[in-house]
Amino acid sequence: MEKTFLQTKKVMLVDDEPDLLKMVSAILADDGFENIVAAATVKAAVNVCKEEKPDLLILDVMLPDGDGFSLMRQIRQFTNVPVIFLTAKDEAADKLAGLGLGADDYIVKPFLPQELLLRVYAILRRCYKEESNIIKLEGCTVDFSRAEVKRDGKTIPLTAKEHVLLETLARNEGKIVTLDALCEALWGDNPFGYENSLNAHVRRIREKIEVSPSKPVSLITIKGLGYKLNIRK
Amino acid sequence: MKSFTRYFSKYFLSFLSLIFLLVILNVIVFAGTFYGNITKDYGDSSPRRLLEETIADSSASGISDTAREKLRSHNIWAMFLSPDGQCRWAVDLPPGLPAQYTIQDVAVFSKGYLQDYPVFVWDDAEGLLVLGYPKGSYIKITGNYYSRDMFKAIPLYFAGILILDLLLLFAAYYLSKIKVVKDTAPLVSSIKALADGKTTSFSVKGELSEVAESINKASQILSRQNEARANWISGVSHDIRTPLSMIMGYAERITTNSDAGPAIQDQARIIQRQSKKIKTLIEDLNLVSKLEYEMQPLQKEQIRLSKLIRSYAAELLNSGIPDAYTVDIDIAPDTENTMMECDTRLITRAISNLVQNSINQNPQGCKIQLALKNVNGCLTLIVADNGIGLTPEKLQELKKKPHYMESTDERLDLRHGLGLLLVRQIVETHNGSMKIDTIPNQGYKTMISFPYIHQPPPPKATVH
Repeated sequence: MEKTFLQTKKVMLVDDEPDLLKMVSAILADDGFENIVAAATVKAAVNVCKEEKPDLLILDVMLPDGDGFSLMRQIRQFTNVPVIFLTAKDEAADKLAGLGLGADDYIVKPFLPQELLLRVYAILRRCYKEESNIIKLEGCTVDFSRAEVKRDGKTIPLTAKEHVLLETLARNEGKIVTLDALCEALWGDNPFGYENSLNAHVRRIREKIEVSPSKPVSLITIKGLGYKLNIRK
Repeated sequence: MKSFTRYFSKYFLSFLSLIFLLVILNVIVFAGTFYGNITKDYGDSSPRRLLEETIADSSASGISDTAREKLRSHNIWAMFLSPDGQCRWAVDLPPGLPAQYTIQDVAVFSKGYLQDYPVFVWDDAEGLLVLGYPKGSYIKITGNYYSRDMFKAIPLYFAGILILDLLLLFAAYYLSKIKVVKDTAPLVSSIKALADGKTTSFSVKGELSEVAESINKASQILSRQNEARANWISGVSHDIRTPLSMIMGYAERITTNSDAGPAIQDQARIIQRQSKKIKTLIEDLNLVSKLEYEMQPLQKEQIRLSKLIRSYAAELLNSGIPDAYTVDIDIAPDTENTMMECDTRLITRAISNLVQNSINQNPQGCKIQLALKNVNGCLTLIVADNGIGLTPEKLQELKKKPHYMESTDERLDLRHGLGLLLVRQIVETHNGSMKIDTIPNQGYKTMISFPYIHQPPPPKATVH
C-alpha cells in the first residue's frame, strides 16, 4: 500500500476562502500530491468536477451560492467519488447530516495538517486498493487474494477467520486495532465474550507468520487494548 | 415546599389565637349589651324586691302609704287575698278584675297572667299578696318543664359543640392549606427552577393561572436569552475556526520549511502550540455553553463503556503521543459487558479532556491509567496518572472556587480553564458523579461513577 500510488490521485478542494484553498493545496502538494484542483462556489464545483473527474473531494459546508450538502447531492448524480467535509460547523447534527449523505469523513476546523493528511490517505487507501494483495512481514509474505502465507519456500493456507483478522490488521498497518473492532470484523455486531476465541485465532496466525511465535514481531499484542500488525516496507 | 409547610404551621398558631380572641370578644359584647337589662330586672322595680318590700309594709288589714306610693310610681297594682279567696284590700286594681277568686283561679294566674297583666305572688301567713305589672312589661313562661337529665347534660352539650366546632374549623383550615400547597407546588418548583437559571413551563388552572402565566413568560425570556447567549458563543467559535485553521496550517508549514532558520522555526512551533490551545478552548467553549443552557441534544445509545475506553485509547496511541507517556488499560472482568446508556461523543470527550489534562500537567511524561471498575454497584471510570498531582491548596481551590462561566461576580480569582468544567457537565448530564483524588508528586486521579448498571444477557458460547 504505497503512498506514491495514492499520491497520483486527483484531489479537488471546494472552499470560498482563497487563503484556505491555497494552504490546503500547499499541505497536500508538500506531501507529494501532484493533481490538485479547486473551486470556490457550488456552480464552479459541479463544472470542475465534471471536467476534471477527481478521485477525492474535500468540501466546505458553507459556500456563497449554496451548501456543501446540496453540492454533494448534485455531484452524486454523476459520480461516486469519495467525499470529505472540511468545515467550521461542529454541531453533531451537521456531522450526522454529512455522514448520512454518504460522506466518507467529516473534519471540523480548526484541523491539524497532519490529521488532514492521515484522513485523506485513509480514505484513498480504502477506496483505491492497489492491485497487489500481498504484504511483506518479518520472515514471510501474506497473499490475501490466495489466502496463503509463504515462508521459507513453504505455503501455509489461512482459514477464513484468520484471513479476515489479518486483513483487518493489515488495512490499519502499524495502528492499534481494538479487541472490539476485531471481534466485530470476525463475528459481527454483538461480540460479547469472544475475546478467548480471538486469542486462539491470534495464536494460530502467529504460528503461521512469526519466526518465533512466542516472541512475535509482526502481530503485536497491545495489552488490554488490542493488536497491531507491523508490515515491512 | 418545606418552607411552605413551615409557613402554614406558623400561621396555624396565629389562627388559634384568633379564635380565642373572638370568643373573649363575644363574651364582652354580650355582657355589655345585656348589663342594663339585667340590672333593671334585678333592680328596684323587680318583682322580687317589690314583693318583699310590699309584704314588709303591709298586712292582711292594709298597706302603708309609702308602699302604696312606690307601687303607683311604678304603675303596679296590688291586692291581698285571704286564704278563702276574698280580696282584703287592693291598690289601683284595674276595673273588671273580680274581688273573689277560686282556688282554680289562683292556681292559673299564680304561674302567669291575670287578664294579660303579668302578676307575681307572695305567700304570707295571713294570705296571698298579688302584684300586677303593666301589660306587656314581662313575659312569663307558663308552660315549661325540663327533665333534670337535660340540665345535667348542658355542660357536656356545650363542650361537645365547642369541640366539634374547633374540629370543623381545623379541618377547613387544614384542607384549605393542603389545597393551597397543592396549587402552589408547581409555582414554587418553577420559581425554584428559574432561580437556578433553568427554564420551565407549566399550566395551572384557576386563580393562580395568572401567576403561572407570568412565570412562563419569565421562563421564555430566560430561555430566549440563554439561547441567544449560546448562539452567540457558537457563532463566535464558528467564525474563529477557519482563520485558526490557517494559522495552524501555515505555522506547521514554517516549522518544516528548511528555508526558515531554526529561530523562526522555533517561533512557528510556539504559534503552533498556542493555536492548539485556542483550538481546544473553542471546542470546549461551544459545548460547555450548550450543556450549560441545556441546548445540547443528547444522542444516547446503549454501549459498552469498556469498548469506548479501548477505542479512545487506541485512537490516542495511534495518533502518536510522545514516548514519555504510557497508557495502561485496566478493565475489570465484571464490567466488560456492562451496558450503559450514554452519548458516546460526550463521554469520549470527557475521557479525552481528563487524559489531556494529565498530559498538559506533566510535560516531563507520566503513566496514564484508564480503568473501569464496579464500585458498590456503580460503574466507575477512572482516569489516573502518576505525575506531579496537585497540592492540597490547589485541590481545595479546584473544588471551592466558582468557575467564571457560572459566576456573575467580577472577582479576579475565578477559576479558569474549561476542560474540567466540561467533564463535570458531561458527567452530570449522565446522572453520574465525579471525584478527584490527588497526592502531590504521586499522581492525580479522577473517578467518574455512573449509577445504573445494566447487565446484558450472558455471553454466547466462546468456541468457534
